[in-house]
This record gives sequence, C-alpha cells and structure tokens, in this order.
Amino acid sequence: MRKKLLLTVLTVAFSIVLLVGCTTKQESTSSNEGNESNEEKVVNVYTSRHYDADKELYKIFTEETGIKVNVVEGKSDELIERLDREGEDTEADVLIVADAARLHRAKSQELLQSVESEVLNNNIPENLRDKDNEWYGLTKRGRVIVYSKDRVNPSELSTYEDLTNPKWKGKILVRSSSNTYNQSLLASFIEINGEEKAKEWAKGLVDNMARDPKGNDRDQAKAVVAGEGDIAIMNTYYLGKLLNSSDPEEVKVGEQVSVFFPNQDTTGTHINVSGAGVTKNANNKDNAVKFIEFLSNEKAQSIFANANYEYPANPNVEPSELLKSWGEFKDQNISLNKLGENNKKAVEIFNEIGWK
Amino acid sequence: MIKYRKQNFNIWSILSFVFIALVIMPNINIFISIFQKPNENWFHIKEYMLKSYILNSMTLVIFTGLFTVIIGVSLAWIISVYEFPMRSFFKWGLILPLSIPSYIGAYTYNGILNYTGVIQTFLRNSFNMKIDQKYFDIMSIKGAVFIFTISLFPYVYIITRSFLEKQSAALIENARVLGRNLIDIFIFVVMPISRGAIIGGASLVVLEVLNDYGVVQYFGIPTFSTAIFKTWFGMGDTDSAIRLSGVLMLIVIMILISEKVLRGNKKFSSTNTKIRPISRIKLKGFKSNLAFGYCFFIFSIGFLIPTIQLIYWSTLTYKKILNIEFFNLIFNSFGVAAIAASLVVIMAVVIANYCRINENFISKLYSKATLIGYSIPAAVIAISVIMFFIKIDKNFYWIYKMIDSDSKKMLLSTSLIMLIFAYMIRFLAVGYNSIESGFEKVGKKFFEASRMLGMSVTQTFFKVDLKMIKPAVLSAFLLVFVDVLKELSLTLILRPFNFNTLPTKVFEYANDEMIPESSIPSLVIIIISFISIYLFYKIGDKESA
Repeated sequence: MRKKLLLTVLTVAFSIVLLVGCTTKQESTSSNEGNESNEEKVVNVYTSRHYDADKELYKIFTEETGIKVNVVEGKSDELIERLDREGEDTEADVLIVADAARLHRAKSQELLQSVESEVLNNNIPENLRDKDNEWYGLTKRGRVIVYSKDRVNPSELSTYEDLTNPKWKGKILVRSSSNTYNQSLLASFIEINGEEKAKEWAKGLVDNMARDPKGNDRDQAKAVVAGEGDIAIMNTYYLGKLLNSSDPEEVKVGEQVSVFFPNQDTTGTHINVSGAGVTKNANNKDNAVKFIEFLSNEKAQSIFANANYEYPANPNVEPSELLKSWGEFKDQNISLNKLGENNKKAVEIFNEIGWK
Repeated sequence: MIKYRKQNFNIWSILSFVFIALVIMPNINIFISIFQKPNENWFHIKEYMLKSYILNSMTLVIFTGLFTVIIGVSLAWIISVYEFPMRSFFKWGLILPLSIPSYIGAYTYNGILNYTGVIQTFLRNSFNMKIDQKYFDIMSIKGAVFIFTISLFPYVYIITRSFLEKQSAALIENARVLGRNLIDIFIFVVMPISRGAIIGGASLVVLEVLNDYGVVQYFGIPTFSTAIFKTWFGMGDTDSAIRLSGVLMLIVIMILISEKVLRGNKKFSSTNTKIRPISRIKLKGFKSNLAFGYCFFIFSIGFLIPTIQLIYWSTLTYKKILNIEFFNLIFNSFGVAAIAASLVVIMAVVIANYCRINENFISKLYSKATLIGYSIPAAVIAISVIMFFIKIDKNFYWIYKMIDSDSKKMLLSTSLIMLIFAYMIRFLAVGYNSIESGFEKVGKKFFEASRMLGMSVTQTFFKVDLKMIKPAVLSAFLLVFVDVLKELSLTLILRPFNFNTLPTKVFEYANDEMIPESSIPSLVIIIISFISIYLFYKIGDKESA
C-alpha cells in the first residue's frame, strides 16, 4: 500500500519536472536554433578564465571561422568536478583552467583526450604542454618576489630557499595555502629539492611571515608598501594590474615595489600556466582543436598577453612592454605535470606545518 | 481540539510529501557517505585541521549570533515602541543592509580600510600620516564578525519587529497600565514572548554564517566551509569533503535542537481578531537624539558607507562595464530570482499549512527537513543536485526521445531548471520560516471555525488562511528573492551555458582582483533589492493601516 503511494507520488513529481523540462527545451531550441544539430558550428567551452580579453578572442574566433563559442565560466576545480560528473554526456568540448596542477588533475581523472596538431606542437614549447598532448599551456605566469624599493636592496635577494633565512623574520608576506599558486610553488620544490627539504622550506617561511596569510596577491603588495612586511611572494601579472588599475592609489602602490626573479643562478623562477585541453567526450572535437590552435596563434597570444600582463606561451610572440621592462628570466626547468602530481603532498605539508 | 485523522490524505499531504522528497532525495548521498569508512585523508584532516575549523566556525557563529541579536532586537524594540525623527524611514531602511551580500561587504570594507582605501589615503595625502596597519585589520575573525553582523542583523530585526508590532500591543500596554517601566517590560514581557521570533531570526543568521564561503575565503579564515572546499578541491577528496559536511550538519542539527529547547513549547498566538498596533511613545530631546543616532549609525555602517564606496568606485569604472551584455545580466538575475522565489513560496505555504493542520511526528520531520538545504554548504548542494539531475537524465532519456527524437541526453542537467531547483532547496528554509511564523501568529482558531462551518481544507486555505498570512507570504517572497539575487556559489557551479548573473559577474571581477570593476554589478544587486524591500514595505504598511 505504502509502496504504491510512494510510487504514485514519485511519478507525479517526475512528470512535473519533465513537463517543465520539455517546455524549456522547446524554448531553447527556438531561440538557439539547432544547437546540437550540425547546421550551426559550435564549440562549448568550460573556462575558469573570465577576462574581457578572452571574450574578445572568442568573438574574433567566431568571425574568422563561423564557429560559435558557448562559454560556462567557473572556478577550475568546480568545472573539473562538473565535467567528471557529466561523464560521457558532457556538452563541453574544451576545458580552460589556470594552473598546471588543475590541468593535470583533469588529465588524471581522464577528462581530456590527446590531440594531434602540428600547429599546437609548433606554437607551444614542449615544457609548456602535456607530454601526452592532453593539454597545452596558453599563457605563462611567474611567481616571483616583489620587494619594497625603499627598504630592500635587491642584492639581498637570491632564491626562494633563502627566504627562510632568519634575516627575513617578520618580513615576508604571502597569501593563504588554499591558493593554488602557492600549492604549485611548493609542489615544484617537492620535485626539485625533495619532500623533506620542501617541508622545511614551508616551515621556515611560516616562521618568517609578517602576518597570518590573508587577502589576495594585490593585498600582499599593498601590505609591503604599508610597511607590514618588506617582501611578498606573488604572481607577476598582479603587479601589472596594480600599475594599470583604475584606482590611482593602487598605481602608486605598484610604483613603490619592484620585481625580483629568484633562483636565476640555480633552479630558475617558478612558472605556471593557464592552458586548454579537449575534453574526452567532446562532441565537436574538430572545432575544439581549431579553437585551441587559434588561441595559440600569434595574434591571439598577443591579445592574451597584452591584456592581462601574462607571458605568452608562444615563443614567437613578444611580451608586452611592461613585462619586458622587468627583464628576462630563466624558468624552473621541470615538467609542469609534476605540479599536479605533487599537489596533494603540497597541500598536506601546508596543513601539517600550519601555513594557514 | 478537533481531530483530523481521517482527512490526512489529501492534496496538501501529497504535495508536501513530494516537495519534501525533492528536497531530501538529492542529499541522500551525503547522508549515506557519513556512515561509510573514512579514507586515509580523513585522519590527516582530523589531526591537523579539524580543531581549528570547529573553533573558528564556532567563534564566528557565537559572536555574530550574539551581536545580531543585540542589534536586531534593540532596533526592533526602538522602532516599535518609540517615536523619533525619521523613524518611519529607519523602519524599512534598517532592512537595507540585507541587500548587500556579505562577500560584497567584505570586498568593500577592505577596500575602504586597506592601504589604498579612502581613509588611509586621506590621512597619508593630507596629513602625511602613516598608521600602523593593525588598526585597519579587517581581514581577521573580528573583521568577519563585523561584516557578518552588519549584513545579517536585519534577519533578526525584521522577524522580531513584525512580531512585536502585530503581537504585543495588548501585553505591553497592560504591563504599562500595571505600572511597569519600559525596560522592565522589555526584559520580562517582550523578550519572553518574542523569544521564538528572535531565535528564529538568529538561527537564520547562524546558518548563513556557517554557509559563507566568500568572506572567510577572502579574509583567510579557515572554517568548515573553506575546509570543505579545500578538501574537496585542494585535495580532490570528495568523500572527506562530504564527511566534513556531515560533521557540519551534525552541528547544525544540534543548533536546531537547542533552538527548539530555547523556544520552549509555549505558543503565543493572537487571541483577538483585531491586531492592534502599539501606541508609540514620543521621545524628546536627548533620548530622541540617542534613538535617532543609534539607528543612523547602524544604517550607515550597514548600508550607507559601503554603498557610497561602491558609487565612488563605479565612477572610476562605469565606462568599461556598462554595455548591452550588462542589461542581460540584470534580466537574468531578476528572472531567476522571481521564479525561484515564487516556487519557494508555494512549496513553503503547502508544507507549512500541512504541518500546522497535522501536528504529528511526520509534520515535525517535514518542518525540519525544510532546513536541510540551508544547513548544507551551497557547494555540496550543487554537487548533490548535479548528481541527482544526471541520474534523472540517464533514466528518463527514453522519455525525452519519445517526445522529441532529437532530444539530447543531458536535458535537465544542462538547463536552468537544475539551477532553479537548487535555489529552491537552498532557500526553502528562508521562505518556510517566515510563513510558519505567519501561521503561528494567526493560530488555528479561524481555520477550525471554518472547518466546522463545513469548508474543506483547500477552501479554507484560499478563503481564510491565505488572506491572513498574506504579509508573511510577501515577506517570504521578498527574503527569498533577495537571497537568490545575491546567491553566488550555486549559480557559479550550476548555471547553463552562456548564463551569467550579477553575482557571478561580481565574483569574476573580485576573483581577478578587480574590486572597483565589481562595483556596478554590486550596486545593481543592491538597487534591485532596495526596490523590492521598499515595495514590500509599502504593501505591508497598507496592510496594517
């Protein structure tokens, strides 16, 4: 009796849901003519990048190829989770996320597929792409030391490792360990120096922190200028954003600090990428490949790099004037896949040693 | 007391069951995984993180709870009992802080107070003064309590005020006739009778705080919700994240149980047919200034100051932001908020009506179940809803094909329906609380009278009950509408292709560390909320006049 009632009720419920579903479906087909038929060419993109420049690029791509770009924006982790849940039924053709560790996670969860593309292999250097061609770096960011021009002489700076030196006690500013850029930084040290050394480094850095980690990268630069600490670990493009801010006070902050590329005589400055891959179950694979190829070409790369103060992944494209003014630097010479492989370990180390 | 046992099975009970089932079903996975064996990660979490999560979350909850009650109740009392300059403005103006989402409050206040903010810049540029940053440190637990308090106290204020206005005139005036002074009355009469309303408001505040991700993440405070995100995404461990949600849920259940205990079993429902407003006392001189000053101060920090800062930022950035796409955002936000709020109100009315008529174990269970969505962090709801809809799509694909042979398989799980469904789960508690207290206030006398005169439950509802709980229905709609309009996490994860709302835009800019650019979408959220609050207030005013 009970069961019968339950069944009836459930059927009623689902019919309601379905009914609403179908009406919406009709609306969407009429307004978005044949989204899934072959008449209109589309590429569906899940992206964690949401800069205005990116939208400009999608527009240019559509103009050039007639392929419409549909976009879902979100945080990288959530997009990966969503892709995973949707499995083979996903609508997404391309995944774009910032941080190589996230790209690696998507790969290791078998959400991406290998791509054979001469264009991509030519445009993107080997160290900035996955060894199985499952993802390609599109823009490059350096995680550097930013220091107060007044209080720090750059000759005092040398390596990331040196930041644990007691002379920096109470002077270092950095954001929280939940930030993926910090996780990837530590992951790179696990790769280069081994787990024990990496852990010691993290601990030493916590001992030298000027305050509990808080705020974003820009806030670290502000804290340097405010005198809370002398040096900050941050990504280069945030300095570019400060210098080009709509708020004149932020521009002043940007002007009072300078960039130092650490480890130039040793292992190189830590770099990370934002990159793209074709999803494993892409329905529009050809369009997806075309789209990523487009993003790697010189025109798109220079828009990418100029608008957001990132370094272009394509070596044929010059970085913007501002970036050039900071000088050239040597990259950490490790496979970016390692950032992903060591990510979990890095998070655990952060928790154990109490980097908030 | 009339017994209704025989009539338990009707449209109300069926619909209530369906709604509750829809709320519970997606969350079953979370319940189940609490009982599964923990993985090795869990021991890592337990050893290094759990203690500080509990401690931080509890600190935030206790202090925010305390301050919102102090501010909310004192304002409700002042507004209901005294007459002073601009009282009628503050009456609704003090709800306005609710229109500023706490994450926007956090971005804004940090913008005001930080090194490049207006205060420090002014001191620096005009007096060449550089002040120790610790005096401006809002990115701390104290700062988070401040932000939560000023953005959430209206929950306590609204519920307590409307209770005092509708409920207490006779009691307060009797006590005055009997020679009690107002402070005594406040402590011995008002507090006890409005305990339910106060605790109802405070529990909304507490749940909001436990759910927040934006503020604590920005301020770098490790709490349960940051922990869930960190474990889930940072460590890629869904099981442990769900387990943490389970622990959080246990805490919430404890809070809800203690709420019941604190509320007590007494019910205060109006015994008169006519609800009479309190005759207010006119304040003079110093006391009048004090009341005005207090209201103005809270209004300023809760609404005026952040809004002015946002307006300033928008003058810097409007050229970049205002375009056709932007109007699309407004339309989207407005649309989903209105749809979701209407559906939540319908659900809440049906369940609340069922529960008050059938006071038994099941109805108690129902009324608790409405809180589920509110007590789980939004991100967890999002994932459970995705799983649920993908399951539906997989199982019902054959039906889709029958209707439309071209139909895609992921029909519902790529549509707006999924997002709206998630809003409904998330905000049912908000609507339900308001409507339940509306029913409580009305009591069952009229219902019983109508039933004895031969009307059915449904007839009674439309002819008698609905008219009496209209203000509660409107306030439920308003609260849910504003909440959906501000909602961020669910929208981020569940929105379909090419669908943006104002909060997702704000988040994108803030996430890219472009806080000034986020000011215009923030202001629009505030303006739309502002208008709906004002309209509601006007309708409510007419209602009681």
